[in-house]
Amino acid sequence: MTWSAVAAVVMLFVIAPLVPGIAAKTKARLAGRRGAPVLQLYWDLSRLWRKGAVYSRTTTWVFRVAPVALVATAGAATCLVPLDGARAILSFSGDFVAFAYLLALGRFLLVLAALDTGSSFEGMGASREVTVAAFAEPALFLAFVAVVVASGETSLSGALGAALAGAWPTAAPALAMVAVSLFLVLLAEGSRVPVDDPATHLELTMIHEVMVLDHSGQDLALVLYGSALKLSLFAALLVGVVAPRAALPPLVALPALVAGIVVAAVAIGIVESVTARLRLGRVPQFLTAASALAALGVILLLAGSGT
Amino acid sequence: MTRVAELLLLLVILTSFLALGTARVSACIRAVALQGLLLGLLPLALYPAGGAHIWGLAVGTVLVKAVVLPRFLNWAIREAAVRREVEPRVGYPMSLLVGVAAVAAAFAISSRLPLPEQAHEMLVPAALATVMLGLFMLTTRSKAVVQVVGYLILENGVYLFGLTHVERVPFLVEVGVLLDVFVAVFIMGIVVFHINREFDSLDSSHLSALSD
Amino acid sequence: MTLFFLGVVLLLLGGAAAALLPRRRAADAGFAALAGGGCAAAAAPALWALAGGTVADLRITAAVPGGDWVFGIDPLSAFFLVIVCAVGAASVLYGVPYLATERAHRSVRVAHLLTAIEIAALALVVVARSAMPFLIAWEVMAVLAYFLVVFESERVAVRRAGLIYLIGTHTGTLALIALFAYWGQLAGGLSFAALAAAAPMLPASGALVFTLGLAGFGFKAGLVPLHFWLPGAHGAAPSHVSALMSGVVIKMGIYGLLRLVTLVGPPPVWWGWLVLAVGLASGVLGVLWALAQHDLKRLLAYHSVENIGIILLGLGVGALGARYDAPVVAVLGYAGAALHTLNHALFKSLLFLGAGAVLHATGTREIDRLGGLARRMPFTWTAFLVGSVAIVGLPPLNGFVSEWVVYQALIRSADVSPARAAVFGVAGLALIGALALACFAKVCGAVFLGQPRTSAAEGGREVGYGMLGPMFVLAAACVVIGLVPLVAVAPALRVGALVGGVGTAAVNDGLAAVAPALRRITVLAFALVGSVAGGAWLMRLASRRRTQTSSETWGCGYERPSVRMQYTAASFAAPLLAAYGPSAGVQVTREHGAFHTHPLDLVLDKLVLPLWTRLRNWAISVRPIQQGRLWVYLLYLLGALVALLLYLALQLERVSW
Repeated sequence: MTWSAVAAVVMLFVIAPLVPGIAAKTKARLAGRRGAPVLQLYWDLSRLWRKGAVYSRTTTWVFRVAPVALVATAGAATCLVPLDGARAILSFSGDFVAFAYLLALGRFLLVLAALDTGSSFEGMGASREVTVAAFAEPALFLAFVAVVVASGETSLSGALGAALAGAWPTAAPALAMVAVSLFLVLLAEGSRVPVDDPATHLELTMIHEVMVLDHSGQDLALVLYGSALKLSLFAALLVGVVAPRAALPPLVALPALVAGIVVAAVAIGIVESVTARLRLGRVPQFLTAASALAALGVILLLAGSGT
Repeated sequence: MTRVAELLLLLVILTSFLALGTARVSACIRAVALQGLLLGLLPLALYPAGGAHIWGLAVGTVLVKAVVLPRFLNWAIREAAVRREVEPRVGYPMSLLVGVAAVAAAFAISSRLPLPEQAHEMLVPAALATVMLGLFMLTTRSKAVVQVVGYLILENGVYLFGLTHVERVPFLVEVGVLLDVFVAVFIMGIVVFHINREFDSLDSSHLSALSD
Repeated sequence: MTLFFLGVVLLLLGGAAAALLPRRRAADAGFAALAGGGCAAAAAPALWALAGGTVADLRITAAVPGGDWVFGIDPLSAFFLVIVCAVGAASVLYGVPYLATERAHRSVRVAHLLTAIEIAALALVVVARSAMPFLIAWEVMAVLAYFLVVFESERVAVRRAGLIYLIGTHTGTLALIALFAYWGQLAGGLSFAALAAAAPMLPASGALVFTLGLAGFGFKAGLVPLHFWLPGAHGAAPSHVSALMSGVVIKMGIYGLLRLVTLVGPPPVWWGWLVLAVGLASGVLGVLWALAQHDLKRLLAYHSVENIGIILLGLGVGALGARYDAPVVAVLGYAGAALHTLNHALFKSLLFLGAGAVLHATGTREIDRLGGLARRMPFTWTAFLVGSVAIVGLPPLNGFVSEWVVYQALIRSADVSPARAAVFGVAGLALIGALALACFAKVCGAVFLGQPRTSAAEGGREVGYGMLGPMFVLAAACVVIGLVPLVAVAPALRVGALVGGVGTAAVNDGLAAVAPALRRITVLAFALVGSVAGGAWLMRLASRRRTQTSSETWGCGYERPSVRMQYTAASFAAPLLAAYGPSAGVQVTREHGAFHTHPLDLVLDKLVLPLWTRLRNWAISVRPIQQGRLWVYLLYLLGALVALLLYLALQLERVSW
């Protein structure tokens, strides 16, 4: 556990709410508007923190625990990613499995909280959320398999480290496909267009927003923060795959990470401005295409490494 | 140059997937046009010291596969007012997964075939994969125009196989390839036109109604 | 071994006590005490063997058929014996209060007696070291399970489920008898030692043996497409019997496969790939069909099919690693299979006991008739939630640990050059996990959360401690293995090494590969639990100064919400099932003002039953041979005699020339 790893994690916790803000600002600028300030989510979170809450009589303790669990699992997952380029706070062989399943735990409890309210809107959102997740998980794991095969290491810290930087020159096309696939998974898991529109007001068109409809006050603040943290976590993962920073000293690697995350946020904003939300029945096809891309990358890497 | 060739071959496989996974017929045609362009650039990347006939092959391929054929197909769909593909016999996500399996099989099989030294090690796997993807598209789609696109992808795969011999047998392969393409275009054009006129639609499953 | 047989005798005495003691309280208490004690006694030598000790074999040379009868406990037997005893004890202790209310209608004493004998038979299957006692115990286990399944035999659906179960299990046993007959004839003896010695002589590196083994043990394990008997039988049986069957009986199929590999050695390459493919298919199809179910226990039964698929994934990749001389992959693959067997036994029986509690309290198994039980049955809800989180494979519980070991084996196969494609099993396992999450979100949400949909659910009350006790013990075991995985992974690695036929060096290599990771998983699990608990406590402090009001669930301005407007379980699963199309096997009927979905079992309804109908029609068409008239039969005799004479005449002619 190096100081740079801890500093990187703390830094990610702090800048996480910036990512949705930058994406929204990019989208607004491209549409010719001025848009909300980039720090808007920070103001929203502090405002929500000061508010009281309304709880439904139908809900149980699951409803109160879920937002906490969402943030806790996202935070624990952050400790597994090598944010400073060299080593994560906690790293072990096969920790990418723990990464994905920690986020799944947060999702599971949030879905249970949605069903806890007994509302048909939240049930609908929960149902759609698990459908999207069922198609996104294989794509995420195929991306992990690709970096593991390319680098020859089985832990995230090893796979996104120096070995991957050495693999990029020879395996660039395959790794590029994997990066694109990871970006599509980021759009799906972060509830962005073209999978889910974060700016819509119609409940019947929402996936994630309608699932958390009943949370209010501090719980809602935790839910919004948790989602932003997940989004920036996937952005950090993408930056780790595209630009492994193992050779850089920590004082350069951390700002490089921030710059990469900002670029990813701008890319999200551009994608949101350029594409329309997919019809819900087409989302499995979209995510299967992401899986197919990652699988092609894995095939190329396997074919390249041996015969 | 091998890096460029590798990139081109990869893009050829990706354009096959693009054609496989889209529902819009015009997007299918655009994908196969792009594939034709890539195939035209390939001989230049594989045999940079080629000479006049390599340049001729490249220009000819680009003209036929990326310009003439797509235009012809676009004209056909405009005449028949075809917009979207109906839901194919194998759904789109499943088609993509079968495509991935075909690519994996192509790579696995090619590594075991006893072939001589190739211009690029990815040429044979890419050719095999393209042929399989074209065949798959030909058999599982119902609109005649999309089936023609599948046939064209199949032809592109055969062309890729032909590229392995370009250095050794100069003219025969080129002429054979181009003639093949011309014949295919004419036959398919006539068939498509006739289907359109006789049955007032381009759904080839209506053809099976002739048998009983 | 004497301690083990003492345990078996205690079990049988407990069954006798349940059947013979006149007063109900005495019978129940005697049964629970003796059977529980018997399980503990039988498990003791198993734990000793797993800790590294050796247990002496027992040999019976008296005039018994099939040669010597040998019994012994090696690490593989010990591992499965622990599973048998643990789940058996839980099932016995739960079954006593569960069936207590049925005394008026049915013969509960016989059911208890049969349960005790069943557990004894399961224990004997696992310690048998010779083909004859193995097959005898196997048959006893299978047939007794039938009688336990048809406990409510006055219902047609139950009888039908029992019949299909009997067909399935006997087809499997037929394959096993063929297997041992063929192999024993080649080896000249039926003890496992003799069979193992003859293994190098098997043609095509044991192709026939492995095929028959996969068929026979596969029927028992419930892999697709040999699973068609499973949902019916596990759904129809009483809940503690379902727990025993899902937790232990189907694992005997896995035990058989592991024992086969131990005796013969590395399986052929095609077998490894076949098991891998079958495992993937079972996993994905099992959980997909589970999503479509409306009946709680049938849904849990399909999840058993899914978990068998995960176990087979580990088995397949282990077989490939063994064949290609990659000892770490082999050990991890087999260890993952064994560990997931243990974990599945624990959390699946927990889930079935919980479902039994729900059934006991509300009287219905239909998921869409339940709801809101979390407030009415809080302890059952907690235990069921632990089981759900475990089966989905989420940290910090035990399902995560065994899936992690299988992931390790799959990802390391990328280093084994001919088996590189096994790496795609990772994507398959991820898909299975995500679908399982969807399914259990549906179950927990529709059964326990929200508001009660019918009066049956409204009337649900918490069950007694007799039923809650075993559930909590199983839940505690899940938590312990999840928090401190080394406890279970070390014995599993020893089993993996035994099956893979690798020496202690490979065990140490495997241990070195995973032990540091397991320590860090422990750290992660504790950190997770601590941060969630700490965070929840901090939130309570932080919210103390804010106003908290309670109100109705926000209905987006709709004035009159009703309980029936909640999302149903069928609607929850609908988008996922629609994405998979016809392979989900859902039959939709739309009428005027009504919408029904009916889940089919594709193998049973589209394959087995039509095949059966065709067979029956052919048999009926052949019936006219049996005329019923004497002179026709005499004519048959005469015809056969003439044909024989002609044949003899022709043969003699040929010989004489």
